[in-house]
Amino acid sequence: MSVHAQAIEEEGHGTGSLGVPNLKLAMWAFLGSECMFFGSLIGTYFFYHDHSLAGPLPKDVFSIGITSISTFLLLMSSLTMALGVDAMRRANAKRSRNFVWGTALLGLTFVGFQVFEFHHFVTTKGLTLATSLFGSSFYVMTGFHGAHVTVGVIWLSIVGWMIHRGHFGQEKAINVEVSGLYWHFVDIVWIVIFTFVYLLEFAK
Amino acid sequence: MSHPIEHGEAHSHVGLYLKTGAVLTVLTALEVGALFVPDLKPVLPPALIGMAVIKFALVIGMFMHLRDDKPIFRFLFMVPLALAVLSFIAMAFLAIVHYEPFGIGYVVTALQKAEGFVPPSTTAPAEPAWPEDKLLAAYAESDKTAHEKGKAIFAASCVSCHRADGGGMPGLGPNMTDNCYKHGGKLGEMYNTISTGVAGTAMPPWSASMKAEQMRDVLYYVRSLRGQNVAGGKACEGSAVAE
Repeated sequence: MSVHAQAIEEEGHGTGSLGVPNLKLAMWAFLGSECMFFGSLIGTYFFYHDHSLAGPLPKDVFSIGITSISTFLLLMSSLTMALGVDAMRRANAKRSRNFVWGTALLGLTFVGFQVFEFHHFVTTKGLTLATSLFGSSFYVMTGFHGAHVTVGVIWLSIVGWMIHRGHFGQEKAINVEVSGLYWHFVDIVWIVIFTFVYLLEFAK
Repeated sequence: MSHPIEHGEAHSHVGLYLKTGAVLTVLTALEVGALFVPDLKPVLPPALIGMAVIKFALVIGMFMHLRDDKPIFRFLFMVPLALAVLSFIAMAFLAIVHYEPFGIGYVVTALQKAEGFVPPSTTAPAEPAWPEDKLLAAYAESDKTAHEKGKAIFAASCVSCHRADGGGMPGLGPNMTDNCYKHGGKLGEMYNTISTGVAGTAMPPWSASMKAEQMRDVLYYVRSLRGQNVAGGKACEGSAVAE
């Protein structure tokens, strides 16, 4: 068996000239571009920081308690995701499905917290997308992150369903792994936003 | 073999993942807890950023296997990440170096820092609270370059209403070369007029598009025009100042 054919069998998926699975290569390239995307959004938030002329300021609206809980849930969802990928690598499909669905559920809870936060900011605190530079840059940045989490929740729900129906077995573990890479990325973006946007606001 | 996906009896990473999850939990608890310890305030920003970097590294290194996966993945991810961090730093640097024109409060603070002024009340610009003697002293000590810069700004932004020589235009800007002022001829009053504009007229709030130093420079230049009484200038508007 040629090395190439062996690689295909090992990965159970298309392997390109770089000797790595194309799917995984594509995901890492995508995540690299996502670094630039979120880097710009977070940079823009700080560029406009302290320049709002009207409306409530970050300190008036942020609640460290609530955001800490949702942050913790998202962080733990990365752990369950890693455990789900690990279970699939070791051909434990049922365990993998449970962890993947559990991850989606934690993600959904995070989105729920964000919907609550946005609703609270708009109705009680009077901060909308058009209120100030803070409102615009904050909602665009965290909104795009929330949209990424939502996409991840849908994706993981489908992955869990595919495992459940027996479509993804150990030979297709890379499908679970790649969805996991995306999920972990969404988590690290939040690690940055939580520290730089929320915590540092109260550190001054 | 370090590749995370192996065939057959791949060894379990569960122990490593659980340890990583525990460290992430402890770090998050420390981050949030540290906010409530007043003594930590001075070291908080670097400490928080440091802990975030560790959390970030743990997730990409352990959970995403960047630590021991193929180098091509590290390359694909770390290079754009470095670019993102650099552009972030560049934006932060720009925000600090350029006094941002977005808030009058910021402009006043910048001017105050530059020349030791007492800040005026931003809510009542009609009554400047700046000590005029300090402003005059700063004006007297100002060097020629500030006036030259102010002249360039005047030529770019002001001449369409105040005329190239400052003589004013009918129905538009008043004469800057006589000794009459509609909104006060003290330096503080003139600065406020430039900064906040005049509602209901063509005079815009220049703080929306100029830095504090630019408004100061143009103020010095306009002040230096007083009493030159250029030929064909507009008649006196407002009240004449004694000086």
